[in-house]
Amino acid sequence: MKRFLPIFGFVVLFSIAILLNCYIATYAQEFDFNRAYDDYIYTYSQYRVAHSEYVSAKQAYLNYKTLTSKTEAQDKTLKMLEWRDEVIKTYLTALRLKLAETTGISNYEQNVLYLKLDSEVSWYIKHHDALSSAGSLEDLIDSAEESQSKYQETEVLIYQALGTILSGKETALRQRLNQQMESLKNKIAEIREKGDKKTTVAERWLLEAENRLTRSLEKQSAAQQILTKIKPYDSNKNQSYNQAQFALEESHQYLKEANLNLRELIREVKSAD
Amino acid sequence: MPTEKIADQTFEEIPVAEEPVEEKYFTFGKFKLKQKMIWSVGGGLAGLLIVLLILASLLKKPSVSPKQAQPATPTPTPFEEEITSPSIYATDSAILKIEADLKTIDQDIQSTDLKEVGLNPPVLDMEVEFEE
Repeated sequence: MKRFLPIFGFVVLFSIAILLNCYIATYAQEFDFNRAYDDYIYTYSQYRVAHSEYVSAKQAYLNYKTLTSKTEAQDKTLKMLEWRDEVIKTYLTALRLKLAETTGISNYEQNVLYLKLDSEVSWYIKHHDALSSAGSLEDLIDSAEESQSKYQETEVLIYQALGTILSGKETALRQRLNQQMESLKNKIAEIREKGDKKTTVAERWLLEAENRLTRSLEKQSAAQQILTKIKPYDSNKNQSYNQAQFALEESHQYLKEANLNLRELIREVKSAD
Repeated sequence: MPTEKIADQTFEEIPVAEEPVEEKYFTFGKFKLKQKMIWSVGGGLAGLLIVLLILASLLKKPSVSPKQAQPATPTPTPFEEEITSPSIYATDSAILKIEADLKTIDQDIQSTDLKEVGLNPPVLDMEVEFEE
């Protein structure tokens, strides 16, 4: 029995190693947008808890001004600031992965945004690490101010990344519609050459659909313009983003209409004169 | 007492003097109507009304529930409806492929989320102050 013990131990260790390897491989594969988003949601909930504790501790300190309440306030502020950095970091990571998953964004645009997002994430990691070295409540307040000023820049990047994601979706849909339009153009030209069916109506409708696609592109460009104009010191960044989003919705409406036109066109071609 | 004579007597045969029935009348101004006639005409009319009501309820269309009565939401013209007089291109493979592709694109357009509410930036308290 004893001589089988090393073999048994080896088998157990080998199995554990394989299981561990599989787990790591699965984790690495599955770190997609959904997982990053779950991380962000969890971190955000932790931040909210830390924030409410910070508010209570701050109030107690302001009321009693004792050393105990100051120490408590310092601890809770540190905890809240750490979670706040963590929230921004996980949110930016989720945004990066959403960018990666969205089709219709050019490689150049994607890479530029990756670089910017990575740089922001690095800043918040460093800031997070530096927080623990703060010796007093005053140091923490200074550190929080740095973060507050940095976040104004981060917000600009966030809205631009969000706008790029939405624009990417529109571009992808428009590209697909353009492809279908090209195929239809070729087919109608072929029918006209054969002369076995009138193509006047079909050609006119094709132009209508083309116009809709152009209008859609114009609206998308207008949205991009609004997003590029956002500045770090703007107090109404959210409002500008909403305007851009509205322009994108209008662009989307034109895509719907273009698609409807093309489907009507198909029906026309399929019907006898 | 002469009891035999009493036994022979048949009381049933005694003619009873009929009292004259007094007819009742309703008067409507100049008109004088018999009460009996009014009751019979009124009863007839009420019966007719009941019969009419029963008939009306039987012939009435099935009632529409409030939910069904709501106006239907407008829907776009269905393209799937059959083409009555098809052209020679109705079965053309290239046309059919484009048609199928456009249908898929339509579904994708309809399902595209252009709000991404879940990705809105987190609401954070950026001001850390310890002043009243």
